[in-house]
Amino acid sequence: MTGSALTRFALRNATFLIFAAVLLLFGLQTPGFLSPESLGNIVKQASFIGIAAVGITFVLLTRGIDLSVGSVMYLAPLLAGFAMRDLGVGVAGGVVTAVLAGLAMGALNAFFVVRLNIAPFIVTLSTLFFFRGAGTLLTSSRQFDFDREIVDFGLSKVAGVPMPIVVFALVALVAHVVLSRTTFGRQTYAVGADPEAARKAGIRVGWVQARVYMVSSAAAALAGFVLIAQIGRLDVAFGEGREFDVIAAAVLGGASLFGGIGTAIGTVVGATLIQTVKTGLVFTGVNLYLQPIALGGVIFLAVLIDSLRATRLRAARRRTIRPSSATP
Amino acid sequence: MKPITTLASAALAAVAGVPLLATPATAATICFAFQDLETEFWVAGHTAITQTLEEEGHTVIERNANEDANRQLEQVRDCVAQGVDGIIIIPQDGESAVTIVKEAQENDVPIAVFNRPPSDLSRGIIVVADNETIAEQAVDFLVEQALAEAEDGQTLQPLILVGDLGDPNAVGRKNGFYNAIEKHADRFETPIEVATEWDAATALANLEAAVTANPEIDLIFTSSDFLFPTIRSVLEPRGMWQPRGEPGHVLLGGLDGDATACQLIKEGFVDATGVQDLYFEADAALTAILEAIEQGEYQPNEVIEDPGFALTADNLGEREMDMWGCVLLAEGFLDR
Repeated sequence: MTGSALTRFALRNATFLIFAAVLLLFGLQTPGFLSPESLGNIVKQASFIGIAAVGITFVLLTRGIDLSVGSVMYLAPLLAGFAMRDLGVGVAGGVVTAVLAGLAMGALNAFFVVRLNIAPFIVTLSTLFFFRGAGTLLTSSRQFDFDREIVDFGLSKVAGVPMPIVVFALVALVAHVVLSRTTFGRQTYAVGADPEAARKAGIRVGWVQARVYMVSSAAAALAGFVLIAQIGRLDVAFGEGREFDVIAAAVLGGASLFGGIGTAIGTVVGATLIQTVKTGLVFTGVNLYLQPIALGGVIFLAVLIDSLRATRLRAARRRTIRPSSATP
Repeated sequence: MKPITTLASAALAAVAGVPLLATPATAATICFAFQDLETEFWVAGHTAITQTLEEEGHTVIERNANEDANRQLEQVRDCVAQGVDGIIIIPQDGESAVTIVKEAQENDVPIAVFNRPPSDLSRGIIVVADNETIAEQAVDFLVEQALAEAEDGQTLQPLILVGDLGDPNAVGRKNGFYNAIEKHADRFETPIEVATEWDAATALANLEAAVTANPEIDLIFTSSDFLFPTIRSVLEPRGMWQPRGEPGHVLLGGLDGDATACQLIKEGFVDATGVQDLYFEADAALTAILEAIEQGEYQPNEVIEDPGFALTADNLGEREMDMWGCVLLAEGFLDR
C-alpha cells in the first residue's frame, strides 16, 4: 500500500482507528480493561446513550436537531411507570407505553416543525422544558420507584448477553436496515442532502421530517426505559443534559450536523467510543478533575480528524475530476 | 422564638397543624427561591419551610429556577420589585449565590441561604451543613467496622462515589471521607474515586467499571444516599449486595439521611449514613430571617452551621427518629 493510499485508508476509517487506539492505550495500561467482562460492560453502558443517538441520527440526517431527547428519556419511562403501577401492564406493557409516549412526544415536535414551520432548535428547546416540567408536575419533584420486576428485566440476560446490549443491538440493526435498505431511509438522506431537490423529486419532505422526529423521541424513550430498568428508580434530574451526549455520539460516529451524512453503525461506534474512554479513565484511575478534560480532548481529536478527512477526501475527488473530464 | 430541636416534634407539629415557630407580631411576605427539587432532601426542606411559614400566617412567594442560576437571579430581582420582606434561597451554586445575596442586600431585603453555601460566607444568613464533619462521622463508623472484621495486617480497599465537583457540598463530603480513611492510612489502599456528577446513569456506568477493574472492594461510601439503588444494581449481580453478617457483605455508607437509607440500614444492607439535620436547618433559617425582619435589620450576616450526625447500625434504635428520612419512611413515603 502506498503512502497516499495508506493516508486515504486512515482518513476513511478515522473513527474506527481512534477506537482501536483507545482500546490499545487503556489495554496496555490495565490488562483487565480488555477482558470480556469489561468490554461487555462498555457496550452495556453505551447502550443508554447509543440507543438515543441512533434515533437522533435520523433527525441529523435531515438537517434537523432534537434537543428534547433528555427530557423524553425522563418523561416516557415515568409514564410507563405509572401505567405499570396503576394499570398493572407489566414490563412488556411498560416498554410499549414508553415507546408510544415517545412517539407522541416526537409527533408534537414534528407538528410544530413541519406544520407550523418553526425552527427545530426552537421547538425542541421548548419541548425540552415542557416535557421535563410535565414530569416534575406529575411527580411533584419526587423520585419514582419502580417494582422489582423491572430491575429483574433490566439485569436479565438473553443467551448470556445482558438485556441492554440486546436492545441496543436490535435498535442499531433495525436502524441500519431502515436507512440502507428502505425507501424511507433513502428519502431521509435525500431530504438532508437537498430538501428542495427532494421535493422536486416528489418526496413528501414534511412527512419524512415528521417521521424522523418520531423515531428520535421513540428511541430516546426506549433508551430511558432501558437505563431505568437497571436502576429501578427515576429521579427528577434523570436525563438532564443528555441531549449533548447523544448528539456528540452521533457526530463522533460521522453524522453531519448539516444533514445527508451519517449511518446507524457509525453512531453505534461513536457512542461506544465515548463510553470506552470514560471506562478507560476509571480503569486507569485518572484524577476526577482531569477526566472531563481527557474526554473532551478525545472527542475533539476525533472530530478534528473527521473534519480533516472530509477536507482531504473532497480535495482528492477534485483532483480526479480534471483528468476524467479532459478525456473525450 | 422557640427552636425546633427534634424531627419528631417537627413532624408531630406539622401533622397537628401546630405552628413550628412562635407567632410573629406581623405577617411577612417571604420569597422562597429554590434551584429545583430534584431529591427527597430538597423536597422535604421545601415542605418544612413553606408549611411552617404558611401555618404561621406569612405569605410565601415560591420561585423554581429549574437549575438555571441566571433565572434564579431574575426571580430574586422580581421578588425584590414586588417588595417582599425577606428572601430564602436554595441557590444553584456557590458563585451565583454570592451575586444573589449582594443583589438582595443592596436593595435592603434580608436574605437567608439554605443548605448550599455561597463561595463568600461573609454576607447574608448562611445556613450550612458541615458536610465534611458529617461525612467523616459516617465513614469513621465504616472504618471502625472494617478494621474490626479485618485480619491483622490486612489492608482494605475503600471506594468513594464523588458528587459533582462544582458543588461545595460534594467537595466537603469527599474531604470528610478522606479525613476518616487517613486516620488509618496504613490499613487502607489508595481509595478508588468514582465520578457521579450527581447523576444516576453516570454513577451506574462508572461504578460498574470501577468494580470490574477492582472486584475486591471492602468499603463503599456514596456522597449521596440517592445513589443506593444504583449501587445495588451493580453489586447485586456480583453477589456483593448482602445484609450485615452474611458472607459477601460490603460495608456501605452514605450521606443525606433519606428514607431509602433508613430502610436499608434497618434491612442491614447499609451500615451508616451521615445525616443533615434538615429540621434544624429549616428552623434556623426561618428564625434568623424572621428576627431580622422584625428588628428591621436589612443586611443580617450570620453563618449557622448544622453539625449533623451519623445514623449507624449501632445507634439506630436511639436516633432513628432524629433522621428526616426515617420520619418520611414512618409516614409511608416509600409506599406512596
